[in-house]
Amino acid sequence: MPTAAEFAKTIKSGELIESPNEMTPEYLRELKHTLIVSGDTELISAPAYYLAAKKAPSINAFMTGIAIIQDELAHAHIAYHILEELGEDQEKLIFSRDPKSFRYPYAFDVPLDSWTELVVANGMYDQAGFCLLGDIHDKCSYGPWKRGLNKVMAEENFHLRNGRTWMKRISATGGSAKDELQRAVDWMFPLSVEWFGLPDNLKMHSTQLEYRLKGLTNDQLRQWWLSQVVPYCEQINIKVPAHKETKDGTDVYVLDYPFPCEFDAENKRWDFKKPITWDDVLARWRARGPRNAEMVALFQEEFHKFRKSHHQNGN
Amino acid sequence: MSDDRLWAALSEVQDPEMPVNLVDLGIIYGISERDGVVDVDLTFTAMGCPASDFILEDVRERLLREEGVRDVRINIVWNPPWSASRMTQAGRDALEAWGLAV
Repeated sequence: MPTAAEFAKTIKSGELIESPNEMTPEYLRELKHTLIVSGDTELISAPAYYLAAKKAPSINAFMTGIAIIQDELAHAHIAYHILEELGEDQEKLIFSRDPKSFRYPYAFDVPLDSWTELVVANGMYDQAGFCLLGDIHDKCSYGPWKRGLNKVMAEENFHLRNGRTWMKRISATGGSAKDELQRAVDWMFPLSVEWFGLPDNLKMHSTQLEYRLKGLTNDQLRQWWLSQVVPYCEQINIKVPAHKETKDGTDVYVLDYPFPCEFDAENKRWDFKKPITWDDVLARWRARGPRNAEMVALFQEEFHKFRKSHHQNGN
Repeated sequence: MSDDRLWAALSEVQDPEMPVNLVDLGIIYGISERDGVVDVDLTFTAMGCPASDFILEDVRERLLREEGVRDVRINIVWNPPWSASRMTQAGRDALEAWGLAV
């Protein structure tokens, strides 16, 4: 095991870390934490998307929805598989953890109830995933993860395309279909903005950045996401509560509402007149949202039933 | 209108999932044109191809951008079934570079 000083030097040099015996315990802990967030996020998107994909408007659309879910499960597997190589028990991580201890973004706890909401999730949540994973793919100091993400990026692109194509189509249809799309964007846009976490001025120190587990700060990732989503929504005539400003010759996206602010998860409504603190947001995240238990049960329950009946039969 | 021009147009259309164009992927079986109406025979690499809608949309959109094309009719065929042997060498190279053994 390297000393802290030796390890800091390796990280600084830009070299890749390839195995646990090249790491300090602190790096291992932070790497595992980052992988768990990534694995949990991909895993939970499967039940979240599945419960909405069932409402696909055509067989082809259903096939696309199911293929996306298959991709997400494979992406989850990349993270959990690496965790296993680092000494964690994959089966325990997936099937024996309490629903509340899963570490995925709060957005997935708010039910996606229609095909329209699913395609907005593909356009916005998968864009968030694309930015976060793209950054890791680009900058991560842990070689096995960085390389494992090669194909993930191409597949996330496909999910984005499903989201964008359908959002454009629904917007062009107009009438009540477009109203439904606008309502979905109204509650899903601010949830995606929240996804990237504390603003940089409140986050004094990032161990993930120090260890080069990622390369961009929360605000940089948020700006990247906004620069993809805001112009696209404007192009397809969907309103979003953000706009572009030019400061010192660079484009910056500015939110048109207090960030963070009050969210009513049951009714999927933001109250832009009620600013809250980040402590309030973190408390909401920790308590988890409406669909957390149901989604985790969707893959945990049958696993345990199957296990139990197998043991009773002496297998 | 020369069919070569239409083949060239479709060789500019990328597969939505893999970094290879539709012609090199070998899923375009035939193109013919008469009075501005283009008929395309195409297949998918699998019957459950999740990208089928996108591929149809992209083929139509690209051909309609060719001068003189006023309509595109796409005929989906399953015979002969697609296999990796229908790919061009360029397609094979592109997918191998991406990490897919073909």
